[in-house]
Amino acid sequence: MGWQIALYILLIVALFVLGIRLLRRYEKKHNKRFQVSRKLEPYLFIMPVLILLLLAFGYPLINSVVMSLQNYKLTQPGNSYFNNFGNFKTLFADRDIGLIIRNSLIYVVASVGMQFLLGMTLALALRRKFKGRGVYQAIVFLPWAFSAFVVGLMFRWSFNGEYGVVNDLLMKLGIITEKIAWLGTPGLSLLVVILAMIWMGVPFFAIMYLAALQSIPEDVYEAADIDGCGAVRRYFAITLPYIKPTVIMTLLLRTIWVFNSFDLIVVITGGGPANHSQTLPSYMYTRAFSGYDFGLASALGVILMVALGLYAVFFLKVTKYNKAGDF
Amino acid sequence: MKKRLVAALLCLALVLPITLAGAATGVELRFIDVSPSPVRQEYFEKTFAKFQQETGIAVAYESVPWDDAANKLTILGASNQLPDVITTWAGWLGQFTAANWVIPLKDYIAGTEAEYTDTVTKLVWKGENELYGDTYTVPDGMMVKGVFVRKDWAAEEGLELDPAKGWTYTEYFDTVRKLTNPEKNRYGTSFRGARGAFDPLFVYLQTFTGGRAYADDGSALFNSPEATEAYKIWNGLYLDGNAPKDSINWGFIEMVDNFTGGLTGTLINDSEVTATCIANMEDDEWMVMPMPASDVDGQIYNTINSPYAYSISANSQNPDAAWELIQFLTRPDNNIEYCKLTGLIPIKKDVGDDPFYGPDGYYATFMQQLNDPKLVVPCAFGPFSYTDMHQGMMHEEMQKYLLGQQDAEASLGYVAGELENRMKQYLADNPGSAVEQPKSLSD
Repeated sequence: MGWQIALYILLIVALFVLGIRLLRRYEKKHNKRFQVSRKLEPYLFIMPVLILLLLAFGYPLINSVVMSLQNYKLTQPGNSYFNNFGNFKTLFADRDIGLIIRNSLIYVVASVGMQFLLGMTLALALRRKFKGRGVYQAIVFLPWAFSAFVVGLMFRWSFNGEYGVVNDLLMKLGIITEKIAWLGTPGLSLLVVILAMIWMGVPFFAIMYLAALQSIPEDVYEAADIDGCGAVRRYFAITLPYIKPTVIMTLLLRTIWVFNSFDLIVVITGGGPANHSQTLPSYMYTRAFSGYDFGLASALGVILMVALGLYAVFFLKVTKYNKAGDF
Repeated sequence: MKKRLVAALLCLALVLPITLAGAATGVELRFIDVSPSPVRQEYFEKTFAKFQQETGIAVAYESVPWDDAANKLTILGASNQLPDVITTWAGWLGQFTAANWVIPLKDYIAGTEAEYTDTVTKLVWKGENELYGDTYTVPDGMMVKGVFVRKDWAAEEGLELDPAKGWTYTEYFDTVRKLTNPEKNRYGTSFRGARGAFDPLFVYLQTFTGGRAYADDGSALFNSPEATEAYKIWNGLYLDGNAPKDSINWGFIEMVDNFTGGLTGTLINDSEVTATCIANMEDDEWMVMPMPASDVDGQIYNTINSPYAYSISANSQNPDAAWELIQFLTRPDNNIEYCKLTGLIPIKKDVGDDPFYGPDGYYATFMQQLNDPKLVVPCAFGPFSYTDMHQGMMHEEMQKYLLGQQDAEASLGYVAGELENRMKQYLADNPGSAVEQPKSLSD
């Protein structure tokens, strides 16, 4: 492993030195200082960060792709070998993989969808000034400041089938007559995780949209009012187009974050019962750190990376991000 | 100039003894505890200071929470960074020995075997030799399972439970049903449905196979028709409402918390839970019954192991000093102090007559089981690595049965099939090896 890292660093340094040498040769040949063309400038500016990214992310990325093609188990050191796509075959032959993919899709769509709707509603409500807005704003934005671990514990205890406050409230309100085993029932266990994720993520959308809403010039709304524009029309004709870049970027980012997050699942349900609240990243974590099968976990990681990459490209294309916000 | 020279000499005189003391042996060991608590840390740090006074060898204390321990040790092992002395759970030994992360201790132990109790020599070490071909651990203390019971609830239901007399599994199941009282929000058992769920069940299934897990050719025995029926009875406790529905997701912590917290009436667990019961419950609220006897042959099948035994890592630069530390930790005076703190039974014969472990002590039932001629230690899952199954498939398959997603035959058969494949592969890969046999102190 050590020699691989050294080789990788050496390669980057060699490329850098080669570039400098070529530059010097160009200067000598043409007997003049190299003038950076306007086109090349941006690339040179991002070069330091790019090199850092290559070092910090490039190597692990390449290594995980290599590991995904290998039998790589921590419990069998020195016994790594390429296994003819064996990890991918094992993955798709897993009896629970269909259930886990379905859970992942439900988890992401429901969480991000509700976060978006509630976040937008909150932002619209907070746009206008009212008495006590600051305090109210601070309270509703608070969940964003909590760690996922704390939120996970809160929900785990709240939805405890025997002592949980949720069952207690529902029984006192007469909505249920028997205690519900939220964390021990398929479907409900995933619902609890989704609720926790929604609760935690709404402030992010609200903060972003509130900032975007406050940048919309007031005279546009005034003009709309003069033209007799209704609230719904105002929203779809003015508000949404103005904040479209923010909407697209927040939806894209949040989808990727939610899809990749597994901390809430691990803390609240551990993926149970019988994988009914397991998602692809939490399953990857389980395979990596419970079974120590890093080859299999890497294969899953590679699939996730490709899927999310395709999603990002598709999403940006469909939403015409590069044209968003042009007026 | 003269003044400067004198000052320099004085400084040297002050610094030299400190430096020399630190480098008296030049050896500093690393020790990792996989079940840290303030009590354990205080004990170890105090004992290490005493050890340094006596030997000059310094010991650095490290720890990792139990839930992360397997991960951390695996990563340390794979990167050759394991501390000199590691605390090891028996279930990890298959993985650790296969990866050569720990060294054999037989040569170190040679000549001192007589100092240890029979449970160490005839059960733990014999088992390690059978499974892994050598002795790799020195137990920190002995742990045996028992059934913790709400004494007050049993009295309310008119149940007469006598630890000396013992009970059978049928009687135990009846007790669980009688202790269940939905009106009082009481459940009969702390059912384990998540990680580790298969462990006590596996012991129960082996009461139908004479304590064996596999036939000589590696075929699984614990999914026979009788054992499959037993599988249904065991899980029936949950399905019939004798355990909270949420317990399908319970692990060790939830089981213990809900017993000591007053939700459940029985708890099958190790003697180490005694300390928690002493701390959280009144003496008249709880008692310990021995593990139930087999309904088939009357034997008491019970696992006996040491929770966090001491091993020396293969990458230790000072294995002799590491052994010296293990000897010090297991010296009778240190060992009994440790066992009292952690709820274990001492490993040396010297301390066998301590009143703490006598007939009136908290550990009486556990000691009684250790001396019971009917005690049989059933076989483990196997000498191969099964951590991945233990962390996932074993309890997940059981959960699918509990949720009605598959029948008992499929559920148990799937786990048995996978274990059987691994056992047969192990036998094929290790010519001359044989499947483990159940053990008893009379062997």
